Amino acid sequence: MSGIFEFKQCVTIIKATGKKSRNLREFRDALAIVSEGSIFHHTYQYLLKGHILEYTNDFSHWAGESLEEGALAEQLSNIDPYDFSDIETLRKELLQVVDDYLVGFPEPRDAMPGDEFFFNETITLVFQAGVRVRNLGEFLMAIKYVDVSALYYHFFDARRRFEGKSNDFSQWFDEEMGKKDLAEKLRFIDPFMHSLEGIRGRIAAAVEEALRQDMESSEAVT
Amino acid sequence: MIDAYKGISPKGDLVLLRKFGKVFGNRVFLHVNSTREGGGVAEILQRMTPILKGLEINARWEVIKGDVEFFSITKKIHNALQGNEEHFTKQMWTHHFEVNRMNAEKLDLEADAVLIHDPQPAPLINFRKKGTWIWRCHIDVSNPRLDVWNSLKEYCSRYDTAVFSVARFARSMRIDEFIIPPSIDPVSEKNRELSPEEISETAKKFNIPFDRPILLQVSRFDRFKDPIGVIKAYHMVKKYNDCILILAGSPATDDPEGEAVVAEVREYAADDPDVFILLLPAFSDKDINALQRMATVVLQKSLKEGFGLTVSEAMWKEKPVLGGAVGGIPLQIMHGVTGFLVHSPEGAAFRVRQLLNNPDMAKRMGERGKEYVRNNFLITRQVRDYLSIWYAAEHKGSSVLKL
Repeated sequence: MSGIFEFKQCVTIIKATGKKSRNLREFRDALAIVSEGSIFHHTYQYLLKGHILEYTNDFSHWAGESLEEGALAEQLSNIDPYDFSDIETLRKELLQVVDDYLVGFPEPRDAMPGDEFFFNETITLVFQAGVRVRNLGEFLMAIKYVDVSALYYHFFDARRRFEGKSNDFSQWFDEEMGKKDLAEKLRFIDPFMHSLEGIRGRIAAAVEEALRQDMESSEAVT
Repeated sequence: MIDAYKGISPKGDLVLLRKFGKVFGNRVFLHVNSTREGGGVAEILQRMTPILKGLEINARWEVIKGDVEFFSITKKIHNALQGNEEHFTKQMWTHHFEVNRMNAEKLDLEADAVLIHDPQPAPLINFRKKGTWIWRCHIDVSNPRLDVWNSLKEYCSRYDTAVFSVARFARSMRIDEFIIPPSIDPVSEKNRELSPEEISETAKKFNIPFDRPILLQVSRFDRFKDPIGVIKAYHMVKKYNDCILILAGSPATDDPEGEAVVAEVREYAADDPDVFILLLPAFSDKDINALQRMATVVLQKSLKEGFGLTVSEAMWKEKPVLGGAVGGIPLQIMHGVTGFLVHSPEGAAFRVRQLLNNPDMAKRMGERGKEYVRNNFLITRQVRDYLSIWYAAEHKGSSVLKL
């Protein structure tokens, strides 16, 4: 139980793929061939933007805001990328949703010039934030002040490493701190319904509550 | 120098910049452009070079020299890349190259990373000695005259990497292309904190009263900035809310229509004492800062725009901003979160009324806007991105890099 948690954070640099789509048919064709890195960027990394409107990825955002195809935007928003074991399976699901929509609406409108969908990728740089913690108290202090990109890296990006079922914080609470309940509580925070700051607040509240319970139980013993 | 941004820029950016300082310490990072003063590129280089030096990176900034003919050609290239019809001859391209060849003989181009800004010095790539060469395009080249673009591309595609400000400004080439938006400097004269006395001083200078809400648009007097549309919106607002309007900017000296636009604006304002048309001389940064800080709502109702950094400037001062949904403005204004995107004078008027009647909403938007700029549009982020590209170019092959 002496494991140290070392916070890491990341920055992403956007790289253009040169592919763009004016309407849903062009989008569908591009989606079928763009790199896995591009799909990763437009879905998983959407949450790095830090603002949650009614969309959960760039594709649904474009469908809703630029094409004004509300129903399609809702369907695309409902896709949880962490449900898929790899990007190719996620790509198939995205294509299926677009194909089904095109059956009902076979003549999609064009986006305004300049408002086309531009497929991008990213280069991600990961580095140590210079913050190390040894217990829940130190963790609580740190989580309140670390950069939001550390939250993204440990809470969102980590989900890919645990097949959508966990995150770095829960793993540490569970395996190093012996806090299974706390670990589980964090696993059940809906990643798509909060901004990164919202996630920070929820994690801090859960840890604070765990600390309070620890203190109460130790007082009861003494 | 980097300490000046402590407590202002995101901590993570400063941590990474210091790490880059250790990685690239004493290595040479050369910037080349075509002017030492005037224009956004020179302004950003003036601020960026000391930051890089503060990181112990050997930053150098060289400026190419050219004759009148050279700059007349590069102006035409600039216009043609933005879609204007221009006539080019083979001799003009030869002169463009020859001037760059002469500069290459005089300039020290030996560096570990070389960032060439805009089309004027683009042919310098032919005189590359070593290092990573990056072409930085600050212009919207989404709809260029293709003959001109194809000639320039001969040079650009020889670089290791190209950088554009917005994804839709980029052209497809066979090299890596990155998207790096421009930025504002939070400690510069235009954006630093001002005391109430400094703000009052500017208000006094222009006889601006503080007794009513202030609507402000800062931009040069150019039809694409739609100053008439802003006055129309103000007239619509005025029926419901007493307010004053300030249109501040300088006439576009390189635009023969500049004076005509100012005359049109004056005529349309029709001596309304509550409309202030301020023609500001160059280097009015502190006054612009003060005007933005005294405003209740800031507009950037452009019909066509490059990036529109005045939006970030106003957001940094915690102002709700209404902007036309063009150029880089939608990247800065998150509709309904940090301001509103509008498409007509009617839309602008409606949103101004909403903000004037909901000060809590205006305050919330202003606060969010400042945080959004802090995380996305400060100069430290731009320096970080340039260094990241340099690092990525030296570690090709992976999309995840660990420092």
